[in-house]
Amino acid sequence: MESTISHTEPKNQWLIRLQNFWRTFRKNGIGLVGLAMLVVIITMAVFAPWIAPYDSSSSAAFEVGDIYMAPSAAHLFGTDDAGQDIFSNFVFGSRISLTVGFFAAFISIIIGGVLGLVAGFFGGRWENILMRFTDIMLVIPDLPLMVVIVALTKPSLYNIIFVIGLLGWTTTARVVRSQTLAVKSRKFVLRARAVGAGNGHIILHHILPLVMPILVVQAVLVVSLAILNESTLSFLGLGDPTALSWGQMLNYAFGRGAMSTGAWWALFFPGIGIVWVVLGLTLLGQGLEQVLNPRLDAHHLMPSRPTLQKEHVESDQERVDSGKVLLEVQHLSINYINEGNPPARAVEDISFTLKQGELIGLVGESGCGKTTLMLSLLRLLPSAGQIVDGSVLFNGKDLTEVSDEELNTIRWKDISIVFQGAMNALNPVRTVGDQIAEAITRHMHDFPHEKVQARVTELLDLVGIAADQKDHYPHQYSGGMRQRAMIAMALACDPQVIIADEPTTALDVMIQAQILELLDGLRKRLGLAIIFVTHDLGVVAEICDKVLVMYGGVTAEYADVDTIYNEARHPYTQELLKAFPDLTKPKKKLSSIPGYPPRLDALPAGCRFAPRCLLAFERCHTEQPILHTVGDTHFASCHLVEASK
Amino acid sequence: MSKQQFLEVRGLKKYFDAGRPSLFSRETRLVHAVDDVSFDLRRSEVLALVGESGCGKSTLSLLLMGLEEPTAGTITFEGRDVTHLKDSERKGLRRKIQMIFQDPYESLNPTQTIEEIINEPLLVHGIAKNKKERDERVKKAMEDAGLKPAEVYLSRFPHELSGGQRQRVVIAAALVLEPEILLADEPVSMLDVSIRAEIINLLAELRITRQIAVIFITHDLGSVGFFADRVAVMYLGRIVEIGTVLEVLEKPQHPYTKALLSVIPVPNPRLRHERIILQGETPNPIDVPTGCRFHPRCPVAMAVCKDSDPRSIKLSKTHSAACLLLVK
Repeated sequence: MESTISHTEPKNQWLIRLQNFWRTFRKNGIGLVGLAMLVVIITMAVFAPWIAPYDSSSSAAFEVGDIYMAPSAAHLFGTDDAGQDIFSNFVFGSRISLTVGFFAAFISIIIGGVLGLVAGFFGGRWENILMRFTDIMLVIPDLPLMVVIVALTKPSLYNIIFVIGLLGWTTTARVVRSQTLAVKSRKFVLRARAVGAGNGHIILHHILPLVMPILVVQAVLVVSLAILNESTLSFLGLGDPTALSWGQMLNYAFGRGAMSTGAWWALFFPGIGIVWVVLGLTLLGQGLEQVLNPRLDAHHLMPSRPTLQKEHVESDQERVDSGKVLLEVQHLSINYINEGNPPARAVEDISFTLKQGELIGLVGESGCGKTTLMLSLLRLLPSAGQIVDGSVLFNGKDLTEVSDEELNTIRWKDISIVFQGAMNALNPVRTVGDQIAEAITRHMHDFPHEKVQARVTELLDLVGIAADQKDHYPHQYSGGMRQRAMIAMALACDPQVIIADEPTTALDVMIQAQILELLDGLRKRLGLAIIFVTHDLGVVAEICDKVLVMYGGVTAEYADVDTIYNEARHPYTQELLKAFPDLTKPKKKLSSIPGYPPRLDALPAGCRFAPRCLLAFERCHTEQPILHTVGDTHFASCHLVEASK
Repeated sequence: MSKQQFLEVRGLKKYFDAGRPSLFSRETRLVHAVDDVSFDLRRSEVLALVGESGCGKSTLSLLLMGLEEPTAGTITFEGRDVTHLKDSERKGLRRKIQMIFQDPYESLNPTQTIEEIINEPLLVHGIAKNKKERDERVKKAMEDAGLKPAEVYLSRFPHELSGGQRQRVVIAAALVLEPEILLADEPVSMLDVSIRAEIINLLAELRITRQIAVIFITHDLGSVGFFADRVAVMYLGRIVEIGTVLEVLEKPQHPYTKALLSVIPVPNPRLRHERIILQGETPNPIDVPTGCRFHPRCPVAMAVCKDSDPRSIKLSKTHSAACLLLVK
């Protein structure tokens, strides 16, 4: 009883998944063309008796006409060496070719799939035995072996299917094994084990669903390979003489003088049939792969859309005399273009300044737009991102308007970035020193060659890595050291500004403290200005001079560090501070901010924080507050600030 | 059902084979991931295991879950030795000890719906006779984990949820088996600060409403204060200090605990203080330093620390630390 109940549920889920898949696949041109090509052929094969003008299986076909008649209205594709209608043979031949293709591929996929799964999942000795066997099978050339086996056995349709099927599984086994290995090491499999699931359950529920997409793609390609193999065998005269496939048609035409009589049609049409099916399958396979294979996702750092034309904004913030202003961001707004939907307002009207040797903290929860803001400073936004307003003045130059060439001279040389999780972005097969050297030579073409190595040592010394570790590989470095190496790379061209995107997030507290100490020391020694992007107010308090708290793409509060921690005016900042464990009162309950940040494509009408704000009143839900000036260096966007003035 | 007989860990060790250093050497090298760890856990108690990466805290959690076989030592649960169990025997135990993983983005199967994920443990253990009963248990677990109303989430996929919500799904999938111990391996380190408090508060609530004991594994000594009853600080496969939260946070005795405490970011620039930043990183657990394992990084190391491996010294009924400075 139980099984019937539990069975109905997943079925609906599979339907939903299928619909989701179709929705993406529909947009894939290549795949659709391939699918259409296949549908044509399969329809032809299924409805062959109704489509073909003559039934090639009955003896009547023999009396159709003279041999090698050119294509005409009566015989669309002409006639062959026996006077049979080629079009009819072509239509019926598709049945044989497709049958062999699909059945042989089915055998290959089952064998390859099972072997790959078992080898990948269980590993150890089984994997060794199975994969060595696979390797041996790969080394043996398929076609000669097929020819030998088919020649030795009776060349019947079944034999051909089995031989092709039994020899064509090797690539599938390898592909499935590597995908299984990848899936097996993922955390959710460990979690399933912790729950108490056995191997069978894990394979069925966790491994197979993630191997399936790749298996489907592989299946399509194996079908095309099987059809090609069948054609080859038949063309070599090893096909089933009672089943006329396209390869068989080619064999007869070729062997019985079609070439010498100039009857090109006898070779051309069966050939086209094979090309058509294989091309259709290949296109479909490619389309499926683009849709199903997550590894082919586009990189998120693709060239962004050009900046919209906008009016020039005059600087409205007074320049403070002390310290040279390096970077001045004014009223910057960024939208994400979302086809068919209104644009998502990821960043709206953000302004801040950064002076030499200053450290500003850009704080907010994930999805608040802080990474978008940071990427936009160097125009590294993903392709959907667009700067719609505002300017980024670097030494007086507007980076949103300069040419790409000019921006390239600024990127890395004047402003460089340490990306989030960047320590995992080192190339594992090259030494760290080598990769730092590359950062130098790539960005500074005129850098004297003989001095590069000295500079690498100097940079490593700056970030606290001993010179003798220059020639080590990334895997010999710990997480903290790799992060130091990434900082060394960012320093390669003596930049004036470093943007650090969550540089300490994945690191232990002690390593985090080391990295913070390093960054703080660097700015003091080199006069670096640093933009420190983080979600952790505690980290910011340790080293920043001023803090910009972002919420839902807007500035919630912007002030010097002391003000933020002791006189915060925005309820969001206040709540964030309360969510922080206070070591001086260890038994105090942590307060959390209920709810979640707004989605940037569905922002609330009024203040973006209003739905989660404990102090929200009517006006907050209807009107977005402007950024009020609280003090000389203190700004907050909250209606309460205005009310209290 | 005496208090002492809930979970007892005695002299637990786990050495991994690190292979031979060269093709011609005889000896294989060993990674001393967990090296002689002992502690007790009482019913509905929260014990925080604190240490940097590489200190062996994750290996320890896998040992407790029975996902790794210990090299030596015993684990006793409710008076029964559960150190070496066959898979079939372990299944019943698995229901009682559940685990929450660090990364809620990785620990959920992206192809399963939330309902399938939370329902899965019930299917695996063959609990609940019919769909109605299962649905009720799934719903209860979800609401206890703060996914309210449950119906909204049932048919969604993990990628449609935020990090905090995903971690709640992981917690619900653990709760559905009604465990007695939750092993939480860095459950909040991948989450935003504002969400962290929520998840910690949720765990704190569960130990009261469901009488669940929690082993809270973290690298952040600052996050354990409000929530934990006791704290164990680990370094290189050993517990170097263990005591109640107030003892460890307010009167730390081991230099490593003191250093860890000093680097916790204080969210107030007026309280910027001297930090004891240990240089370098936890040494490689293959070549464990002689004597006290902490001596190469210890700011107050003495000559004797190089040779003598300190034993755990009892400072109070609940507080002990392993440091030669404490030997009188």
